[in-house]
Amino acid sequence: MPKTCKVSGVDLELEERGKGRPLLFLHAGEGLGADRPWLERLAQKFRVIAPAHPGFGGSALPDWIGTVEDLAYLYLDLAAKLELKDAVLVGASFGGWIAAEMAVRNTAAFSNIVLAAPLGIKNGSHTDRDIADMHSLSREEVVARAWADPTKGHFDAARFSDAELAQIARGRESLALFGWKPYMHNPRLKRWLHRIDKPTLLLWGDHDRIVTPAYGQGFVSEIKSARLEVIKDCGHYPAWEQPTAFAEHIAGFAA
Amino acid sequence: MRVWYFSEMAYHPSWEKGLKTGSLRVNFPNKAVDPHEAHKLLHRYLDEFRACDEAGLDIMVNEHHSTATCMTVSVPMALAIIARETKTSRLLSLGNPIANRPDPVRVAEEMAWLDVLSGGRLEMGLVKGAPYEIHPANSNPARLMRRYWEAHDLIVKALSTTDGPFNWEGEYFHYRNVNIWPRPIQQPTPPIWMTGLSVESGIMAAERGHVIGTLLSGSAAGPMFSAYRKRSAELGRTAGTDRFAYAACVGVGATRAEGYRRADIIAEYVRTSVVVAEPFTNPPGYNSVNANVAMMKGGSKGFVKDRLGNPVDQRTATLEQFMDAGTVFAGSPDDVYTQIKALNDRVGGIGHLLFFGQGGHLDHKDTLENIRLFGREVMPRLRELNPAPSQKQAAAE
Repeated sequence: MPKTCKVSGVDLELEERGKGRPLLFLHAGEGLGADRPWLERLAQKFRVIAPAHPGFGGSALPDWIGTVEDLAYLYLDLAAKLELKDAVLVGASFGGWIAAEMAVRNTAAFSNIVLAAPLGIKNGSHTDRDIADMHSLSREEVVARAWADPTKGHFDAARFSDAELAQIARGRESLALFGWKPYMHNPRLKRWLHRIDKPTLLLWGDHDRIVTPAYGQGFVSEIKSARLEVIKDCGHYPAWEQPTAFAEHIAGFAA
Repeated sequence: MRVWYFSEMAYHPSWEKGLKTGSLRVNFPNKAVDPHEAHKLLHRYLDEFRACDEAGLDIMVNEHHSTATCMTVSVPMALAIIARETKTSRLLSLGNPIANRPDPVRVAEEMAWLDVLSGGRLEMGLVKGAPYEIHPANSNPARLMRRYWEAHDLIVKALSTTDGPFNWEGEYFHYRNVNIWPRPIQQPTPPIWMTGLSVESGIMAAERGHVIGTLLSGSAAGPMFSAYRKRSAELGRTAGTDRFAYAACVGVGATRAEGYRRADIIAEYVRTSVVVAEPFTNPPGYNSVNANVAMMKGGSKGFVKDRLGNPVDQRTATLEQFMDAGTVFAGSPDDVYTQIKALNDRVGGIGHLLFFGQGGHLDHKDTLENIRLFGREVMPRLRELNPAPSQKQAAAE
């Protein structure tokens, strides 16, 4: 059952499961998701703490929060409040961007960092589309780019109650708030990635065409102790599409 | 009732091609425009605006971007020309999509300049803009209205402040020295208009006393105007009919058949203007959470509804369906007057008709006859219906 935790004045919905080393999981732009196959798998090895970002799920979005920088400080405050030590920081897609913004600021609470197909940096020229424009492509095209098996990415509104659909709509709006412009990145972030001073694992699906594994090299080249591992038969969401492999890669890295 | 002629200055020669690709807007490559053909069309459309002055009509201009449906990219640019070519028409900018504009002070400057140039004939629409305007402007659809209201308040302050400079350090906009020259003739500001489709828009406009305009759907107009009147009453004000504007396609002819023919051609604009690739129709945050839930459950049904409240598909509707919905007024001058009167009565009274009198394939000759016949045969009767307060009265209130 999710609980609520007040951090710096913000009511955050929080999923917490498992025992052992703490692992802070920052979800993708699609929210924690109705299905959370990653949660039980990670919880076999870790004490998983998975907040819904402000504006997603049951978490509040106060007026004064509006940037990924705000989210980074908020989660650093969460880590301090929970007195996390020797923790693993995991961020997926949009959550990977947040995790990178945290890590360039302060890594004291964390011993390992995992970025799963993170967004957040700019590699190419002005006219290179580093990150697929998910808000200009048809839904079918987004799913085809984001999933190795697109049938798994089909959105069926009939599965959800009105209250759940309202959370989904609110989450989409919140993702736009944080990532519309510049599109899903911070033009300055790449310059500061060198500050990340903990072992960092980049995880990438071999079929990811939202951001390709080549995009991940932009992180690898800037973070001192970073390596990139590829998950087979997997698109942009390893936590959803290959949850077992996802959890194994993390456990192997952070053991 | 005042009547404001408008045309979106469409580039209709490429519509057929755009319809085949499934999008006339945003991602329809501009190689489909022949700029020399566009040159001829722009001059033709501006001539048609000029004819309104002689016909006793007021003039409205709007703008859209990256689209074959509308070549007006800048309301102030078009109105600057029209202001010089007309003498008596009032000039309505409807309007500046101010949540998509990076520089609200520039908007205030342009509006003041136009008011000065036109001798105080400007009316100033500050609009949210259509959903498919978000991508061309690349403005963030989340918190759009928060940005809108900050821009609105800044523009009003810039226009009405005479002892500046003042500074502005807001959430979205930052100026250290606002002091626009020249200032507008109409003080504190030219009359302000908003647009909307919802009850919420009606309430927001009522709280500021602005004119609220809507379009093409009597079913949307009724509840929105009603909400405006109710909110005004709560605030101790009476909302006159001059607070309400309604836009519809109008085809008038010497005979009913001729009016229908013209209206059907103009209505082709309504049928094509919504053809846009799906991702641009509903950027996240543009519509409310509740509206999005309804869309996820039932798909988008559009806002045009018939009298029984059933959705009318804009892409395929017949002239008769459009007439039933209040999207189109058509026929002889008597027919058109009767239909406008009926809509006026249905929504509780409108003070402004936004006369969409040219759409795409309606040619120059037909357009001029549509304007002149309307001005001669329909306009005088509408003036008697909900007579507009004189500008002096309005200014005194």
